[in-house]
Amino acid sequence: MKRLLAMLMTLSMFGGLLAGCAPSEKPATDGPVSITIWHDKEDAIVEVLQEDFASLAPDILVNLEKKTNLTEALKMVGNDPKAAPDMYLFAHDKLGVYAEMGILSPITDFLSDEVLAEYLPMTLDAATYKENLYQLPLYFETLLFMYNRRYMEDSEVPTTTEALYSYMERTTQGGHYGFVEQHSTAYYAAGWIHAFDGVIIGADGVPALNSDEVVDALTYHKKFVDLMPTESEYATVNTLFNEGKAHATIGGPWMVPTVRASGMDLGLAPMPVVDETNRPISPFSGVQGVHVLKVATAHKKDAITRVLETLTATEVGAKLALASGCAPAKLACYDLPEIANDELVMNMRATAENAVAMPNIPEMDVMFSVATNLLVDVNMSGKDIPSSAQHHQDKAISLIEKMK
Amino acid sequence: MKKLMSLLFSIAMFVTLCTISAFATADDHVVVYAQVPDDWQSPYVWAWADDGTNAFAAWPGGEMEADPANAGWYFCHIPSSTNNLIINANEGTVQTSVDLKLDGNNAWLTVTTPEDVAISSTQLTEGELPVYIEKFTIHAKVPADWDGANIWAWSDPDGKGAFTTWPGKEMTASETGWYAVEVPVFVNSIIINTSGGEVKTEDIKGVDAAEMWITVAEDGSHEFSYNDPEKAAISDVTIHVSTPTDWTDANLWAWSAPDGTNVYSAWPGEALEVGDNGWMTKVVPGWVNSVIVNAQEGGIQTTDVSIELEKDVWLVITDGETYEVFYEEPIIDAVVAPEPEVKPEPEVKPEPPVEPSEPATTESNVMPIVIGAVVIIVAVGAGYYMIQKKKN
Repeated sequence: MKRLLAMLMTLSMFGGLLAGCAPSEKPATDGPVSITIWHDKEDAIVEVLQEDFASLAPDILVNLEKKTNLTEALKMVGNDPKAAPDMYLFAHDKLGVYAEMGILSPITDFLSDEVLAEYLPMTLDAATYKENLYQLPLYFETLLFMYNRRYMEDSEVPTTTEALYSYMERTTQGGHYGFVEQHSTAYYAAGWIHAFDGVIIGADGVPALNSDEVVDALTYHKKFVDLMPTESEYATVNTLFNEGKAHATIGGPWMVPTVRASGMDLGLAPMPVVDETNRPISPFSGVQGVHVLKVATAHKKDAITRVLETLTATEVGAKLALASGCAPAKLACYDLPEIANDELVMNMRATAENAVAMPNIPEMDVMFSVATNLLVDVNMSGKDIPSSAQHHQDKAISLIEKMK
Repeated sequence: MKKLMSLLFSIAMFVTLCTISAFATADDHVVVYAQVPDDWQSPYVWAWADDGTNAFAAWPGGEMEADPANAGWYFCHIPSSTNNLIINANEGTVQTSVDLKLDGNNAWLTVTTPEDVAISSTQLTEGELPVYIEKFTIHAKVPADWDGANIWAWSDPDGKGAFTTWPGKEMTASETGWYAVEVPVFVNSIIINTSGGEVKTEDIKGVDAAEMWITVAEDGSHEFSYNDPEKAAISDVTIHVSTPTDWTDANLWAWSAPDGTNVYSAWPGEALEVGDNGWMTKVVPGWVNSVIVNAQEGGIQTTDVSIELEKDVWLVITDGETYEVFYEEPIIDAVVAPEPEVKPEPEVKPEPPVEPSEPATTESNVMPIVIGAVVIIVAVGAGYYMIQKKKN
């Protein structure tokens, strides 16, 4: 009985593997070509895309399919022609994983270098893994310095971190805070680390939590943390700022609609420059764009090319940016008045000048949690910084080894 | 330790959630004028929207100011969305008792008696209407030997004053021992004083335009906080409720009497949750001393139920008029709780479209597990079928 069950299980799994190796479907010779794009985006984005893709009909019918577990689903079926989508729309930071799995086709197989030269270099760099461009960038996001004009006048906005510290010392009292941020979350604290020329992980996939730069950044950052609430998770920080308990914060564009709806006179400003290094706080940036699955390339190349070409239209890039509250990846979009006059978009682009694209290497998968644990030890538990950094460096190396 | 800090912080923050609207603009406000009977002193306006959202955090609502250009008329600005009114006076002891509904525009009310109120959308006062200036409340607790409390308030360094003459505006005393007053949001500096300004604090500068509590010591020194010190130190309590079986979608409405501070910003409050032993429960701040349980979206409700401060409560409701309050879990034959309703908690604040505390790609791993489980089940099922078939 056991043997039979084992055999059946083996056969079942082998069958699944064979399905993954099945030859591509023959190209359709007649009728419309159907293109399926997986995404995880909000309705406003989808509406822009649907409007754009309507121009491809009836030759090409694009089906936008929202997936809640998109990245995991791609790992499962990314090489299965019967189950995989033709393309997907997502952030750039997972593409290294899929490139290593061999399920992506370079975008340069479909679009020329001339077309791609019209994009912000930062977005192209973010989408490049081992010298191959695997994403057509559409828009990008990064953190912003935000302030409540009721408390902080434009003339008071700190341009340096020491000015910020003085402001915090003066205004943090009675349960109000001069400045709050998610100080013990790696995604947010990375901006301070980058300003010290540090990185959480190197391009070679080696963690760098114990580097002098990271230790220096954490040491300098700690005095700011001491003037913030100990608890700094997302809900706390947002509530403090949205309800007028904090004068300023560093947050994402996703905060802006809620803040504006509260009636707050919201100010946006460039990141303060760290006096110690003369570099501004340099947060991560995330680039959203479309990727092409290799399984679709053989028999749908022409259709995929047309889909990508329509997404390179300047107007489409602008609409997507405005719908998402992010900044366009295509340079020409910034010549359009609706983009050039948008305070949020333009501040994001300015901040992105110094932003650091989230690493797209597979090893990054383990780094956010390890780096956050380091920050909790340092900022919330008061542990020694160098020894904590070494401890979590070792932990990260161990986890990466296991991952491999 | 982290959990404790988080809990304390949550308590402090929860207390502050009583503020109905963090920020407001002149565009979304209308002015309400009222003439009241001669024996109505210090009128206030209480206003709410059709969806239950209140204009003010606590009863009796917004203080109406006497219009110096129109004798006998008082005015107050309210959000244009709050179109239901009660005019009250004499510390909330008298009030209008008829439905007063506005159409989103400025209104002039002539209150002859609580039941006889005329509403006009035609201007009945002379001159220009007062401009809306957002205000915030300053509370002060002063030494017992002070003869009341006044506030002098201004904007530093430009010197723009909130009041025309020293010693400023008299603060209103309350039963809690705190004095209170509203000042314009341009104020960032204040002095609390008494005896015509002869006794006073030093200049209290650099304050935020947000509700605050100042405690003045005997020597004139002071401390201040943006969190109510009376409430921040009180632990939460759990309200346990047993409702009649035909009550569905039960909610709890909770507040502090007599100051009227509400826990929830909009009626009918928040949904009771399924607790142990068949009780429906809700955790509320320990300063709550009054609750109403309601159901059918507020269509059925209890009368006001008074409860003791800082104690867990078990409330057994027989019908809207009949209930028993216990401070230890009662032994009763059967506590019949309604079927739990699967619906999300009302959100205190909107969440962003993307969880930003992690990179945008963070997702759960549930799907692969589900798919894996399905594969295994199918394989085992197929195996069992083949075995059975072979046996046959």
